[in-house]
Amino acid sequence: MKTNRAFVLLGVLLLVVCTGLAASLDRWFMGWQGNRAKNFNPLNVAIGDGQKIFAGQFYRKADVYFHSGMYPSIFDNNASFKTAHIGEDAGATGSKNQGDEANYLGKSHDIVEQFSRNFFPSHHTHLDEGGVAGELGDKSDVREILPWLKIAQELDPEEPLTYTVTAYWLRSRMNKPHEAERLLREGLKALPDHPALQFELGRIYFENQKDSARARNIWEHAVKSWQKQEGVKADPDTFILEQILTHLAKLEEEAGNLPLAISYWEQAKVYARKPDVIQQRIDELAPRKLVPNGPP
Amino acid sequence: MNTMLETSKPAAPARGAAALPAGRDQLNGNPVGFKPDVITIKNLRIEYRSRELGSQKKLAVKDLSLSVHAGEVFGFLGPNGAGKTSTMNVLLGFVPPTSGTANIFGVNVQQTIARQRLGYLPELTYYYKFLTAEELLRFYSRIFGIEKAERERRIDAVLKLVELEHARKRLIKTYSKGMQQRVGLAQALINNPDLLILDEPTSGLDPLGRMKVRDIIKRLKNEGKTVFFSSHELGEVETVCDRVAIMHEGELKVAGRVDDLAQQHQCNLEQLFLKIVGYQPENL
Amino acid sequence: MKNSFAVAQLVILEMYRRKDFYVLYFLTVLITGLMGSVNFFNDPKVARYLKEICLALIWICGAFIAIATTARQIPAERESRTIFPLMAKPITRGQVLFGKFLGCWVATCLCLVAFYLFFGIVAAAKEHDWPVGIYFQAWSLHCVMLGVVIGMTLLGSLVLSSVAANITLSVVITAGILFVGRHLNKVAAQMSETAGAMVSGLYYAIPHLELFDVRDLIVHNWPLIGWSIWGIAVVYALVYAGMLVLASWLVFRRKSFQ
Ligand SMILES: Nc1ncnc2c1ncn2[C@@H]1O[C@H](COP(=O)(O)OP(=O)(O)OP(=O)(O)O)[C@@H](O)[C@H]1O
Ligand SMILES: [Mg+2]
Repeated sequence: MKTNRAFVLLGVLLLVVCTGLAASLDRWFMGWQGNRAKNFNPLNVAIGDGQKIFAGQFYRKADVYFHSGMYPSIFDNNASFKTAHIGEDAGATGSKNQGDEANYLGKSHDIVEQFSRNFFPSHHTHLDEGGVAGELGDKSDVREILPWLKIAQELDPEEPLTYTVTAYWLRSRMNKPHEAERLLREGLKALPDHPALQFELGRIYFENQKDSARARNIWEHAVKSWQKQEGVKADPDTFILEQILTHLAKLEEEAGNLPLAISYWEQAKVYARKPDVIQQRIDELAPRKLVPNGPP
Repeated sequence: MNTMLETSKPAAPARGAAALPAGRDQLNGNPVGFKPDVITIKNLRIEYRSRELGSQKKLAVKDLSLSVHAGEVFGFLGPNGAGKTSTMNVLLGFVPPTSGTANIFGVNVQQTIARQRLGYLPELTYYYKFLTAEELLRFYSRIFGIEKAERERRIDAVLKLVELEHARKRLIKTYSKGMQQRVGLAQALINNPDLLILDEPTSGLDPLGRMKVRDIIKRLKNEGKTVFFSSHELGEVETVCDRVAIMHEGELKVAGRVDDLAQQHQCNLEQLFLKIVGYQPENL
Repeated sequence: MKNSFAVAQLVILEMYRRKDFYVLYFLTVLITGLMGSVNFFNDPKVARYLKEICLALIWICGAFIAIATTARQIPAERESRTIFPLMAKPITRGQVLFGKFLGCWVATCLCLVAFYLFFGIVAAAKEHDWPVGIYFQAWSLHCVMLGVVIGMTLLGSLVLSSVAANITLSVVITAGILFVGRHLNKVAAQMSETAGAMVSGLYYAIPHLELFDVRDLIVHNWPLIGWSIWGIAVVYALVYAGMLVLASWLVFRRKSFQ
């Protein structure tokens, strides 16, 4: 009867795993059904802030999918993966990556390792560039990262990066600006007036809906939000401010408001990682400033 | 009923038959004439080593020498813990002897081939609960290498013999204790063995069942088979056995023909048994 | 061999009559179905997460079936005393042991066939693709890998006194190798000399079960691995399984049944 007991124990274990899954899914389903009531979540009680850590894991998982599974483990040299490439390529966050991302495994140390490399993905690819099949692949395959981003967002609804990254890929590769907008609005409920979310929303207006007025409006609002929320911090996130300012500058350039554009470029230069590039742009624009509505 | 062993040809041992000394013909010949020994035990000693440190060895059988002749029914008696089951465990190769030797058909019991012509009924056993009686017997007969057609015939015959035909397609886990005991007897007979080792074959059976087992043993004897069995039913032993041996605390106390012993000691088997185990009521 | 087949057949029959497999299969189908019905940003083509979940469940269930079935074989024979009538037949201990191994292995492989068929259906429903070659590779590598696990559990069931301890130990060792086996050499490189030598000794001694885990290749639609590589891997696993069965036999041969 000992064997039976072991079985019961393992069965119970499986049940616990399933309930855990169900508990986390429950929240998610509620979200989908539009049930906004604060519901009791056993997972919340059980792991509390641990949820944030899990959320980070799932965000990473999305990046693993972005690379079709070719990803360094904690035992590998992950200098070129410090910042998830999904965030880096989406322009949603500054990058700390350095080194050779395609060859992080380096030379194999021994015969077992050499042999083992046949059994897992071993080329650096990005899904939005066609993934494993390269140029021939389907660029909208980047959709495969969505489930993990969704879980990350559900686990930690107060992480802005999840919203902006998801929204970026939804609108830029999957042609789903509506879903992107809805997601960002949802995010703005959890994080009112967050500059990064407002910035990303502005990009939908500007790039997808070609609505400069709305974009200008929200980006100007975003600059103010940034000053209110980040500007007061000791170590503010200037990456996003630079992004907002450069986009505003480009928008004003397009609209022909060159003095305003130059003023945005000037502000952006303060925070820029490559101020000389911006200075070059300013120098280009400066002579044209004198001639309003100059040649395009 | 009496056709069980006649309808079927002897289950030809699949391999190694030639390696066995004392061929079938001799065994099936005149049982009162020349009788080769089927079981020979010489100076057998069995010790159980306990797992726990510090506790000393348990001596189960000491210096046992015994032989069982072809064609006889041999009763192996003794009180609880006398060493009967231990001796049988050695005969079947479950436990290696501490010293001494045991042979079956002249082959050392450690060799697999010694068990080709042997049927064994263990003391307490449950059979695979997830099988039906029929499947269990089919499984065992495959191991004996019995041909397919012959196999089904044997299964029908032994199930009929132990009166389990009605339940042959039911899972063994639904059987009563007595029915399980009968399945045990059926599997012991499946290969039409020349030697049967039965450890308390009648335990758990109702009076009618016991009588039937006795009948089966008698019939086997008539067919020239050798039966070596242990029992606590002295009356039963007296009626079916040619010879008996009585063990006590691991030692062989007496062995011989039932009637010889009765003459020698001037008492019946039960009284002799009680005397040997040291029980002395006033009226004896 | 004939005797081993008879014993193996018995194991398979037992598996087929027990409820474990059906329960696990049902759970896998249920969980996969549930997960498959989730809507992600109105994009019904999202598939890989589902493939990964389904495969993860298959790996858990496969390991569970292999370990739980094997761990109870010999102990159950001894506990219910069915080993006595069995060993009283002209069958050697090696044949019994090999039959048990074979039965557990074949039964597990058969279960995996059912599981991978389900996986194929799920993947085909989502991606309209049926890459039989890589499925076969994944299934066969999974099978030989579980062969090693079964060998290990069989040895454990002869050495350890309790079934629960054996199951726990087998699960821990299997999971441990799957998760860190690949990285032990890197870990060793960062340790002091003696500890490092021990860890890298371990690295070379353990069966590298993680090699056989090609789930990432299937999930992300990578091409087949080379058939020669596949062949070497199969042989590698069979050698380890063979050594474990041999070790089990050496233990079992000397056991006395009381
Ligand atoms: N596995 C074991 N470990 C230690 N001692 C044992 C073991 N098996 C049996 N013994 C001891 O050996 C002695 C003989 O036991 P055995 O089972 O042979 O007796 P038996 O004659 O069959 O008795 P019964 O009539 O009760 O069946 C007993 O004293 C018993 O305690
Ligand atoms: Mg006994």
